Amino acid sequence: MKEIVCKKDELQPGQTMRAKMGPFPIIVCRTPDGEYHAFNNKCAHQGAPMSEGVMCGASVPTDTPGEYDYQKEGEILRCPWHGMEYDIKNEGRMLADPEQKLKEFNVSFEDDDVVVSL
Amino acid sequence: MAESKQKQSNKKRPIIDVDIHEGALYEDLLPYLDNPWKRYITDSDWVMEKHLPYPIPGPDGLNRADAKTPDGRPAGTDLSFMQEQLLDEVGHEYGILTSAFDPSPSSMHGWYEMAHALASAYNDYQIDHWLDKDERLYGSVHVAAQEPQSAVREIERVGSHPKMVQVMLPIDDRPWGDPYYHPIFEAAERHNLMIAMHHNEPPSYYGKYPRYFVEWHCVMPNTHMVQINSMVFNGVFEKYPNLKLMMVEAGFTYAPALMRKMDQQYKALRHEVPWIKRLPSQIIREHVCFSTQPSDELSSEEFMTFVDLMGSDEMICFSTDYPHWDYDSPFQALPSLGEDLENKIFRENARNFYPKLQNTRRPVSQ
Repeated sequence: MKEIVCKKDELQPGQTMRAKMGPFPIIVCRTPDGEYHAFNNKCAHQGAPMSEGVMCGASVPTDTPGEYDYQKEGEILRCPWHGMEYDIKNEGRMLADPEQKLKEFNVSFEDDDVVVSL
Repeated sequence: MAESKQKQSNKKRPIIDVDIHEGALYEDLLPYLDNPWKRYITDSDWVMEKHLPYPIPGPDGLNRADAKTPDGRPAGTDLSFMQEQLLDEVGHEYGILTSAFDPSPSSMHGWYEMAHALASAYNDYQIDHWLDKDERLYGSVHVAAQEPQSAVREIERVGSHPKMVQVMLPIDDRPWGDPYYHPIFEAAERHNLMIAMHHNEPPSYYGKYPRYFVEWHCVMPNTHMVQINSMVFNGVFEKYPNLKLMMVEAGFTYAPALMRKMDQQYKALRHEVPWIKRLPSQIIREHVCFSTQPSDELSSEEFMTFVDLMGSDEMICFSTDYPHWDYDSPFQALPSLGEDLENKIFRENARNFYPKLQNTRRPVSQ
């Protein structure tokens, strides 16, 4: 199964969009470096629509209690409900529990079209 | 009745008991105190502040009514009587002394210099009168934790004693995981000491006390949860990976609910504590043990359900709480759990917990 979801320039770096692949709702993300990623539009936790959340960074692991280091700006998707953080560029894995992740789809290009497939 | 049957059969249980309350009168500590501290006790009748609004309603107050010493001193203040009534009777391999400070010097709300002097005197008394006199007994370093630097000095002073196995902190109104107290944990780790926490007189309802003792006593696990929560999320175990925590006298049945809740909250709120790099339940499994007393009097099946929910059978250590009124008998308090698990809970989990016990094994009779 594959679906043309948009034109390349319809999604700018730092933006997300809702789309469908067949009957399935998906979220397409474009990270600040220009990469495209597509995931199931349901949080792995309780199914909230990820497209209603925010694309942001995260406080990455530090070695000292009380120390914050905010990185990965534009590479983290946060769920609109409970705020679960998913790493877009690491297969959509949850930062707190990498065993859990958003289902990711393949993204390819046909001329100017962005194509999502299983 | 059941204890009498055990006595008749002369059966012993070579346990490692992680909560024995030895005690001292103020007069016992005077030889270990300098002035002005000694004078404040002898001349001014100074005693530590008290908090509980109720008596402890055992038949003899805090202690087993049969544990008063033959010469009428308070229970737990006489080694030979403790040997007779507990250590020899049960067949202890080892016992960990946790003291009967009431409250602890670390619970004092002022005059921390006196708290430090008392803790230091008590450590010397404990070594002279208990640890050096019975090979079965191991001890706890008492400190005035309100001022971490003085606590560190005391840990440096007595922490290397071969029979001091842990630093004792009270559970009251201070969450000890706060980085302000981390020098204590650093010093403990340096001396191969673990941390033990035991409630003294913690308020449990938003800093206040419930109306009745039974209410206060039933929700004691709440106050223990606060401390585990604090130690884990403030990164103590990530910062001091060799450190472990023994939670004494709230049982263990609250642990699965706490572990599950902490994992669930961490998944959403990890961003606030980025120094925590794995699920809290994993940290607890590696770093926290729970003493059994007061037993929740579970069936074998119920007991195993809790073990399954905790995800480990190496986190539970037996304790009697001798000589207190809610003492648990090593022969009666737990259901039958099979030889392997009983071996862990009554001995090996505690031996593995304390580095200074790991290479010791007393020949014992069964």
